[in-house]
Amino acid sequence: MTSGWAAVLARSLTDLRRPVAAWATGVSAIVLLESALWPTVRDMPRLDDLLAGYPEALTEAFGLDAMSTGPGFLEAELFSLVLPGLFIAFAVTWGTRTFAGEEESGALGPVLASPLSRAAVCTAKAAALLLALATLGLVVAVVTTVTSGIFGTGVGPARAAVGALALVLLGGELGLLALAVGAASGRRAVALATATVVAVGSYVLYVAALVVDALADVAAWTPYDQALRAGPLTPRVPGSFAWLVLVGGLVLLAALPALRRRDLRA
Amino acid sequence: MGEHDRGAPRVTRAPCGPALETRSLTRRFGRRVVLDGIDLTVARGSVVGYLGPNGAGKTTTMRIALGLLRPSSGEVRLLGGGRPSQGATRARVGYLPGDFVAYPSMTATDYLSYLARLRPPFDARTTTTLCERLRLDPDRRIGTLSHGNRQKVGIVQAMMHAPDLLVLDEPTAGLDPLVQHEFLALLREARDRGAGVLLSSHVMSEVEAVADTVAIIRDGRLVAVDDVARLLATAGRRLELTFTDAVPLDALRTAQGVRHVDVTGRTASVEVTGSTADLLRRAAPHGIERLRTHEPDLAEVFASFYPPTGECR
Repeated sequence: MTSGWAAVLARSLTDLRRPVAAWATGVSAIVLLESALWPTVRDMPRLDDLLAGYPEALTEAFGLDAMSTGPGFLEAELFSLVLPGLFIAFAVTWGTRTFAGEEESGALGPVLASPLSRAAVCTAKAAALLLALATLGLVVAVVTTVTSGIFGTGVGPARAAVGALALVLLGGELGLLALAVGAASGRRAVALATATVVAVGSYVLYVAALVVDALADVAAWTPYDQALRAGPLTPRVPGSFAWLVLVGGLVLLAALPALRRRDLRA
Repeated sequence: MGEHDRGAPRVTRAPCGPALETRSLTRRFGRRVVLDGIDLTVARGSVVGYLGPNGAGKTTTMRIALGLLRPSSGEVRLLGGGRPSQGATRARVGYLPGDFVAYPSMTATDYLSYLARLRPPFDARTTTTLCERLRLDPDRRIGTLSHGNRQKVGIVQAMMHAPDLLVLDEPTAGLDPLVQHEFLALLREARDRGAGVLLSSHVMSEVEAVADTVAIIRDGRLVAVDDVARLLATAGRRLELTFTDAVPLDALRTAQGVRHVDVTGRTASVEVTGSTADLLRRAAPHGIERLRTHEPDLAEVFASFYPPTGECR
């Protein structure tokens, strides 16, 4: 049934064309604006004095101590909160909608009554989600690299690629969580709530651990920590990224037996 | 082997066993028993009309047959032993859900070719012909179609791969009479090429027109499964007899097969099952001025399985 699997993937990608185009335009604009600000910030007199005046927690959370360098500035302004938030919002919204949402609306009924297995429908949709995120990631990497050349932020292709990969993997894990919970439960609200609680909870824990050292061991298990602790605009791929891939894959796999056994609402 | 016999019709498997068979099919939702030991058979080349009020269990039966729901106990066999959980079995089934929903942003053409890729073989000519016969414009976005036209998309997707079993949950809801007529013709053609059809409907005239067998479900149990013709024959027929003088009530009441007599003036309305010969013989000497008979229809048969509701007025 590979042609059926490919058909669901193709159909989902067609569905994603417009949202991906819109989000790509949005994130490009944000990266462009922020990068364009860099020359002004760099030339600010007494920038370091200003930064030293911020509370320690804020400095830690947004990496403000590194803000006097180009990569540090972009990490603080974009890659530690805004872009991860956007990637997660995109992934969770779509992950929720593509299975549980379509099942609740009834549109998935004829698809699930087809010869294609439920697991195949689910994994094809997961593949579409990851491809969409990869496209957004590529856009971020390219725009970051190009604007670096223009505004001198000093983020080369390698750093931009790792930063974008962090966003893709973080969004990917939480998007797959939303998709998996939606597929296992058939309920959009449950999928959305679970992914949101995990995303917000893990962010809070990540930030708390930056201030309270005792939490560091626990926070190391959060997807935020695994994606962002190393920068993420570093020239080399951190080993912690493997956790994001592994957990995302396992979450999806774990949902499949439940999906196979349960009653469909479609 | 048989597949390559000259002139043999193109079949993927020898037609043996019924198109659909349920054995002691039971389904509970929590404590509520929705289906209670349903034994239903849809033979190949036959149309079974599945009748019952809302909530009686028709849709649940159909959803279990497609593998969308699991039975609590009992089982379903499709097309000679296949299970609903097998993709290869589902490939030979056409299904129209009771509340058919398609992707609103797609055109009917795109939607149908999408489903065709999930469920080959796809014969573009068959699909085009179906659209034409049902008067469906396949180039419009599904979201812009009226309810009836969306329903046509549902019918086409259920029939376009020439399935061996059709499971149709209230297929004519929202269709205009001309299209309903064409749809019934399509059903007869499917039956004539050997497909089994399970059809739920609230439109008795439609079931009467197309079904060979009727299964009536009440509160999750089958209360009657019979030939349409036989059901109608056993149903009470109503005769209106207007006499030249007073109604000979005793003579009518004691006649064979009479179930009920109502009198209005010189006219008696008599409900009778089976032969009317004895009734007419007894009534004739009293001078019959006028005689009208009302043949029973399926709606009356159906109603006879359901007691009048409650005591509200």
